[in-house]
Amino acid sequence: MVAYGDPQTPRFESEAETLRAALSRAEGAAAAAYRDTARLIRLLTVIGTPSSPGRLIDRTLTVLSEVFAADVVCIAEAIDDRLFVTASCGLPEDDPAFTTGWPVGPTARRVITSGTAAARHAVPVADRPPPLRDVPTTSAAWIPLSGVGTEFAGDLLVLYRSGGDLFTPADLQVLLSMAYRMYSAVESRERGAAIERLAQAGPGLARHLDVGSLLDEAVVLLRELTGTDSAWVLTVRDDLAEVTAVADNADTGKPWPRPASELPGWARLSAGEAYVGPATTSDDPVLLVPVMRDGTAIAVLAAKGRRARSFGKSSVEVAQVLASYLSVAMANGEHYRRLKAREHELQRRASRDPLTGLANRMTAAQRIDEALATSPTGVAGLLFFDLDKFKAVNDRLGHEAGDELIQQVAQRLRKVVRPGDMLARFGGDEFVLLINGATDLTDLNDMGRRIQVALGDEFPLRGERVEVTASIGAVLGRRGTASASAMLRDADAAMYAAKARGSGRLEIFDDEASHRSIDRLDLRSDLSEALEHGQLSVAYQPMVELKTNTIRSFEALARWRHPERGNVPPDVFIPLAEETGAIVPIGAWVLDQACRQLATWQREFPTERLHMSVNISAVQLERGHGELLDVIRAAGVDPADIWLEVTEHMDTAEDISSQVSALRGAGVHFALDDFGMSYSSLAYLQRFPVEGLKIDRGFVAAMGGSENNGRGIVRAIMAVADSLSMKAFAEGIETQAQLDALLDLGCGYGQGHLLSPPLPVERATRALRAQRDRA
Amino acid sequence: MRVLTSNRAVRGVGTGNGTDTRVAAETAVTEALRPLGGRRPDLVLVYASVRYDLETVLKTVNAAAGSAVIAGATSSGQLHNGQLTEPGDGIAVLALAGGGYRFGLGHATGLQADATGAGRALARAALDAAGPERSPHEAVLIFSDGLAGDQQELLNGIHKVTGFQIPVIGGAAADDRNLAETFVFAGDKVLRDAAVAIWIGSDRPLRVIGGHGWQPTSLPLMLSGVDGQIVRELGGRPALEVYKENFRPLQTGRKLYRRAGGYHSEHAFGLIQPDGSLLIRGAFIDSDGDLRTFSPLPPFSAVQVVSCDTEDLLEVGEQVVGGVVDDEEPAVVLVFDCVARLDILGERGHEEARRLQRAAGNAPTFGYYTYGEFARTTGVAGYHNATIAAMAL
Repeated sequence: MVAYGDPQTPRFESEAETLRAALSRAEGAAAAAYRDTARLIRLLTVIGTPSSPGRLIDRTLTVLSEVFAADVVCIAEAIDDRLFVTASCGLPEDDPAFTTGWPVGPTARRVITSGTAAARHAVPVADRPPPLRDVPTTSAAWIPLSGVGTEFAGDLLVLYRSGGDLFTPADLQVLLSMAYRMYSAVESRERGAAIERLAQAGPGLARHLDVGSLLDEAVVLLRELTGTDSAWVLTVRDDLAEVTAVADNADTGKPWPRPASELPGWARLSAGEAYVGPATTSDDPVLLVPVMRDGTAIAVLAAKGRRARSFGKSSVEVAQVLASYLSVAMANGEHYRRLKAREHELQRRASRDPLTGLANRMTAAQRIDEALATSPTGVAGLLFFDLDKFKAVNDRLGHEAGDELIQQVAQRLRKVVRPGDMLARFGGDEFVLLINGATDLTDLNDMGRRIQVALGDEFPLRGERVEVTASIGAVLGRRGTASASAMLRDADAAMYAAKARGSGRLEIFDDEASHRSIDRLDLRSDLSEALEHGQLSVAYQPMVELKTNTIRSFEALARWRHPERGNVPPDVFIPLAEETGAIVPIGAWVLDQACRQLATWQREFPTERLHMSVNISAVQLERGHGELLDVIRAAGVDPADIWLEVTEHMDTAEDISSQVSALRGAGVHFALDDFGMSYSSLAYLQRFPVEGLKIDRGFVAAMGGSENNGRGIVRAIMAVADSLSMKAFAEGIETQAQLDALLDLGCGYGQGHLLSPPLPVERATRALRAQRDRA
Repeated sequence: MRVLTSNRAVRGVGTGNGTDTRVAAETAVTEALRPLGGRRPDLVLVYASVRYDLETVLKTVNAAAGSAVIAGATSSGQLHNGQLTEPGDGIAVLALAGGGYRFGLGHATGLQADATGAGRALARAALDAAGPERSPHEAVLIFSDGLAGDQQELLNGIHKVTGFQIPVIGGAAADDRNLAETFVFAGDKVLRDAAVAIWIGSDRPLRVIGGHGWQPTSLPLMLSGVDGQIVRELGGRPALEVYKENFRPLQTGRKLYRRAGGYHSEHAFGLIQPDGSLLIRGAFIDSDGDLRTFSPLPPFSAVQVVSCDTEDLLEVGEQVVGGVVDDEEPAVVLVFDCVARLDILGERGHEEARRLQRAAGNAPTFGYYTYGEFARTTGVAGYHNATIAAMAL
């Protein structure tokens, strides 16, 4: 342009214009350079900023949208001919691209198969996604997210611009570099997050001591960690695989259990390796990871790939770590279960009577105390009972039979108890029943009756039928004042009172019973110390040859002089000694005393050929004949001069009868005490090496009566003795008439107050001297 | 959700002022409703100075407007029908009925803690309220607490629900330049640390335009040091130093509003966009002498220091408003105008109001001065400062 006037002006203006244009271009170039650098740095910053994998992708896509002015930026995975969007900036969250996908266009297909990025301007309609179908000016860039043939092959980063600006080769370079970095960052963060999640959840798994809940949590974790929709856990036992935990109704395929060998890749799994490959029932890939213990697969973690997408290395690694956690947690669970079972068993044993499974003494006491504590007022009812003549059954049929009877009784009693009642065995034949809701004595009576009725039918035992009755003591304990120990003591006392009145009775505890109860308990404890306190002594009752009225032997009888109560009758303290086991040392001591005394007498009265009878209990025999023989021999007497008196209740079990035979072999004689008073059988006499029968005082007493009945029995017993070549001894001769009758029947020997009461040593010695002098 | 059968929209704009909240609110709403001739409004927008008892304002508007979708924000001045209401006063109400629009109202709180989450929740709520049936054209109108949280993050959250095809328009609430507390309105609720959205469905295209008229005064710079809202470094040098170096010579004789904390509205940052355009981000020097922005700038962005000329600002306003008014005359032109622009325009603010109305033709303009503008059309970026944004209904 030429202007008039100042010739400088046009040149100046045009130069200025040229300069301005140059400046503008320079500014534009600088802005572009800064913008490109800035977007690179912004993207790197976002990728480098710590965040969750999801947030990282979200942020990166947002920044990509900003720095590339892209309307839509998305990450998509191509599955067959569909492109599923997994993350996006620019698509509304309800877009079908997330669920049903878009068709894979030809360019996307080429990018996937070639693994190289592509950009297009005015994208052809086949390459445009539905939201941009009507925008012919669309530009797009497709970036492969991972190399061809790798686990993420098929994943794309796609950017769409509706405005029409082309993505330049430089843009593609930036995008490729970003895509790679983003995906490595995502992968490492996913792995990091999974490991972190595992590190958090792993110790938590160990808290599940129950395998069921452990696997339930594990399967949810597995699904989360592998990013799948379907996950389940199989347990393998005896080569059978069974689905034991499933996350959200995952489709686990065919019905289970099935042989483990049918699992895909079982050979690898059983060797402890993971399997990734097609499932047996479908083409969907499955990830199977074994949980190993001692070189064996005990469980298998299973996950099914989402939308046919396979499992990456990190998924496998993470699942393997989970499997090793599980192995430990399952082992823990099993240890715990075993420990628990043992604890439970120990507790059961501690709280239960092993023979009947009923509560034991300790548990019963606890339960009674609890019952008393449940309410501040009211009463609790308690029955204490034992089986009449149980000892006889035990002695006659053996302990095993006795145990069997106890079990049968317990079985019947169980049917009597009602919900809330507590039935316990206190040991031996003693039972306790705590009655739920008892309010008065009627309730106690009613329950007592029910027990008697329950025991009413005979018990079949070792081919016999045994009748059992119970002696029952009952007590009402007042809540607030009563205690378990006091109630048990009182009920026990009442039971003894009942027993004293005969078999099958029920006695309610009262004050009188109270005293008896306390007496009994005191005596029990005093008895245990009686021997060492020198309160015991032995009295000797002469056994007389009736025809000649000559002392032929003595029966050694234990006597207890209580420092406060004076003489305690043997029929009181001997049963107590048997109950407490004190009978063993007492019995041994009596035998020792008796033998030594016999030795003394034999030295002083050698012509009298004196013998000694000593009562012996089953318990003493159980402990072995050796001890008894030692005692006899140590006293310096001939075993043949000793008669051991046993009762008909004596156990006939093989081990004891063999000991009896051994004693017999050494020369010791046996006599059967109280013959005819208990269960007897002639076979018993044959089995037992008995050489004498002692006719019970009851029969002797009956002979004096008006009826001839008593005499008949005595005659019968004597006939039995005679036929078995045994000696018969009459006990309890108290009147001349009885003596006459016995002489009349030809009874050889006898004892009783008429002839002589039990005597202390001195008086017995005097009697012997008198006899010698008479001769 | 409101579905309108009549295709012809009627609207009214009313204003109220003075010290009495009830009187001001009643005056404004009554005036706004009058042209509707008894028709129930479908949409009511309320802009009010923070000087008023806002609960009372909303109660009054709700009482009069009934079942309409009611939303709005506190402002730093308002513009309507060519009039400017200066910051510190005024209630402006728009009532709209008919026109075939669907409106769905949603709101979300907790902007400060999680702006993205709030944006997403907000958009979902508004979309749900608009009902299952979708319209051929949609837009989202938002009001946000302008002093709470990252506004672009809020937009990112909304974007997840709208996608790229639905434009977003709106403004951040203001408080008469006090920079203390701003509020948004949803129904009868006055909310802080919150945002409100109206999902708009329409049979006609809804066009959103934003423009600023600012020019770079510096070469491109790298934001090399950003600490939240504080800009520490520009191109590796102290930010404030570089910022000031690039101020253009001050024109004398121009009156500026005095700003709290040394607010300097004549210069700002322009975020360089991929297409070379600039997104304006207001900046000011705070009482600690730090260079501060209203919303955090993305670290390592390429920026330029920008400044502006009042004439450019006025022109761009006309272009923006003119751009949204198409051949078919709209019922109203919604305008979101940055208070920074008003500061720079000074006494020419009234002129702007007149010129915007002239550009809108017969359709009334209705807007307020904001602490940030939303105009998202392409890409995810759409939060602006010192910008004017408009949409016609």
